[in-house]
Amino acid sequence: MSDTTATTTREELTGFERVPLRTRIVESPRPFLQWLAGLFALVAVEFGTYATLAFAMVERAFVGVTALVELLVGAVSGSATSTVLDIQAAGSTFLTGLTEWAGSLPTLFGRETIPNQGYMLGPNGPWKGTFLGLEPALAWALRLTLIVVYALFVSYWLFRGWKIYRDHYRQADWTPTDDMVGRLRGHRWGQFGILVLLLYLSMAIFGPALGPTTVEQNIQSSYSHEIKYYDTEAESVETVFVGEANFNSKSKGSGENVGPMTYDNYDRFHPFGTLSNGRDLFTFLMGGARITMIVAGMAIGIATLIAAILSMVSAYYAGSIDLGILTTADGIVSVPRLILLIMVSAVFANHWLGNILDGGFILALVFAFTTWPLLWRAVRGPALQVAQEEWVDAARSFGQRPRTIMRKHMLPYIVGYLLVYASMTTGGIIISLSALSFLGNGLGISAPTPAWGRAVSLGQSYVATSSWHISLLSGLVIVVLVTGLNALGDGIRDAIDPETESAEAEEAAAGGGA
Amino acid sequence: MNSGIEQPEQTAQLGETLIEVENLKKHYGGGGMFESSSVKAVDGVSFSIQRGETLGLVGESGCGKSTLGRTLVRLEEATEGTISFDGTDITTLSGDELKTWRRNAQMVFQDPESSLNDRMTVGEIIREPLDAHDWKTKTERQERVLDLLTSVGLREEHYYRYPHQFSGGQRQRVGIARALALEPEFLVLDEPVSALDVSVQAKIITLLEDLQEEFDLTYLFIAHDLAVVRHICDRVAVMYLGKMMEISDTEAVYADAHNPYTRSLLSAIPHPDPSTSSHRITLPGTPPSPRDPPTGCQFSTRCPAKIRPEGYKHVDEAVWDAIERFREVVRERSRMSLSTVDRLKRQLGSFSAYDDIDETVTDLFGDLDVPTDVSEHIETAAGLVKEGRPADARDHLNDTFNGACDLKRPDFHPVGEHNHMSYCHRHESDYEDVTPVITRRTSDS
Repeated sequence: MSDTTATTTREELTGFERVPLRTRIVESPRPFLQWLAGLFALVAVEFGTYATLAFAMVERAFVGVTALVELLVGAVSGSATSTVLDIQAAGSTFLTGLTEWAGSLPTLFGRETIPNQGYMLGPNGPWKGTFLGLEPALAWALRLTLIVVYALFVSYWLFRGWKIYRDHYRQADWTPTDDMVGRLRGHRWGQFGILVLLLYLSMAIFGPALGPTTVEQNIQSSYSHEIKYYDTEAESVETVFVGEANFNSKSKGSGENVGPMTYDNYDRFHPFGTLSNGRDLFTFLMGGARITMIVAGMAIGIATLIAAILSMVSAYYAGSIDLGILTTADGIVSVPRLILLIMVSAVFANHWLGNILDGGFILALVFAFTTWPLLWRAVRGPALQVAQEEWVDAARSFGQRPRTIMRKHMLPYIVGYLLVYASMTTGGIIISLSALSFLGNGLGISAPTPAWGRAVSLGQSYVATSSWHISLLSGLVIVVLVTGLNALGDGIRDAIDPETESAEAEEAAAGGGA
Repeated sequence: MNSGIEQPEQTAQLGETLIEVENLKKHYGGGGMFESSSVKAVDGVSFSIQRGETLGLVGESGCGKSTLGRTLVRLEEATEGTISFDGTDITTLSGDELKTWRRNAQMVFQDPESSLNDRMTVGEIIREPLDAHDWKTKTERQERVLDLLTSVGLREEHYYRYPHQFSGGQRQRVGIARALALEPEFLVLDEPVSALDVSVQAKIITLLEDLQEEFDLTYLFIAHDLAVVRHICDRVAVMYLGKMMEISDTEAVYADAHNPYTRSLLSAIPHPDPSTSSHRITLPGTPPSPRDPPTGCQFSTRCPAKIRPEGYKHVDEAVWDAIERFREVVRERSRMSLSTVDRLKRQLGSFSAYDDIDETVTDLFGDLDVPTDVSEHIETAAGLVKEGRPADARDHLNDTFNGACDLKRPDFHPVGEHNHMSYCHRHESDYEDVTPVITRRTSDS
């Protein structure tokens, strides 16, 4: 608020802060209500998607927690475990039911609203079953475009929410965040990073609707689904199992190949072509996006949390506590990550822990465990610097609690570094995760759940043939995400630290970040 | 130490002692197996501060004055000694007791750029001590912050501004407001104006004086600017290498300093009147490392009034100066540790890294008429240094030239009215007093 005017009275000043945010909103609700209505509409049109995702996550968490309880109870009495298992089964069934119900809700940009799977009635059409009778490629492209635009618009709307808060409800007329956002606005390379991250997040959330077909139909249970197509030889519309159609649509070099942006013999459109087993590559990659984002996000989240806490603890207390953490971190770093991942995967292969998220959960834990020392090391320096500042001494001198000192006086100064290093490290995690899936043999995300590395691995033998698309396109998907995360890290770094603004000057600096 | 002695004039009105420091020591490091001897930042200091007065603490950088101030507000743990605050020994407080006590003593920091968290608004910064102590209600805290903003000369609407929107002087005002928030009785002002423009310094000093009057504050004013100290302080304590050299009423110290160190400090103040004749006492060399302070008086290595050993009465001033400089060079050498290769060479007798000591000897003694009983010892010492055994050379010089000042620590002598105390051997009746010695020695050179 601009308050240089002499009319500002003491009552207004004191009164202002006592007003909680809610009251401030009630006092002038218009901008907030407009924004809220917009958000409500945006959520409503895709409610089914969000609800499915939410229920599925709750179900996973529920299964995980009850499995843990079962393990603990089992140690005490054997009979109680069956009760826990019953509860688990019942809860899981209920939640799965909810998930299915949510999945059946119509969404504005869903497959049901804009279907792309159909078949020709004659040798040259018309198309039946597709949106407005468009050919599948167009229908799919339309849906894809709409979803991407929708996802970007939702992101913009959330940003707008912050702007509305800043312009209408925030008390301070300026905070350091404003400058950060301002600097990010002129930072094209950082914006590229944000865009990439948003695109991949939309893939993770809207994956099932983005592909020309679904993971369930095309990959996981292809022999429980039938499709119709126009058989040119029999000159009639025939019915076939998806599995059988896949079997005849393999991409295995020059002999049989379904390349990018082509139709196969079953009237199915394949934007990225098919895999060597005939499955749709684009659908496969969309499915892989979700598991990749969940595992990488979980791993980096846990690692960042540990690194933040420990770096502040070691900077604040220093001395032997710092040395202890240092030794632990060095010990962890000295363990080769890949070997540890392979060992853990082998040990937990048949354990319930190894089955959560198709093996992704345990991988996320291992990644978090091996990543935090790197982050801690990177952030410890800045943390030590902040701990030397006199405002920390000042806070100690009036008896502030160490926890509060760390949170209020140190965390704001290291959170930027954390974001930078976290976003750059995530790239490494994604590559490692793909590497595990690439190696296969029980490592990485277990088949048939799609994983990017496995797609690369499947196409490995066909790189030099006409089926080059399998490895190349899957590889590019990984490369773009990792590059984008690095760009994001660069952007955040320049936004937070004005002294590095020179790096922002030209996009030439972009090469350094990748 | 002096609580029983009657307090004169200006300090007498508010009467009793607020802080009584006894034999306070603060040593850093030295505890572990891998560390060498500890740094003696504060090495046995005793003094008291009366309620309502301003005690100035002056000294060179690194003499331990900031450490002393930080120890008084428990930002550092005392290694030894007691600090009694209103009768309670605060060095033993911990937990809730410590937190409650902290309300009584606050600190204003030197650098206003670093003492305020830039991510918080000014209001939040000043309110934080109140929040930390759950002071009254939220509304009352805000009222208090606004009161404080006004008392330190800021405006109430600055509440929602960020520190970086302010100038250095304004930031220091915020720092002072924060220190005052909990209504402390005692404030440690750690060079509160030395980071500010001269024009702003005066305003902050005036503010501090006004606040002292308004809130009955007791100050420990740490500074190296002697003019500022003279202006604001009731009493002055002078520190050198972790030890208090002299303490008395401000005017007594400025007009009639007894300690050689204080005299040399004061002689460095420029005089506006060029006709006033004053001997500028230039101290040679640098202060010794606090890791390895002299065995005797801390100031003995640089003292212009050092007591010389019997038996060398015939040696003149210039030679004595040279001897002291030479001893300092040897002492510095002895502090360096030799590499393994050099040690091996020493064993084989081919050590040559310290041959440059001859040049030093020539530089120092070349132009002088050195008596033979001095020069033979100098040569012996130089020989030992060349052999790679500077520690032995140091011992040899100590045995030869050590006087009372090198051998034992002086006592803190009462030297005049106003509870004037000074740390020097020359206050003992056996020795000539400081003033004639300094006058004689400085006029010679």
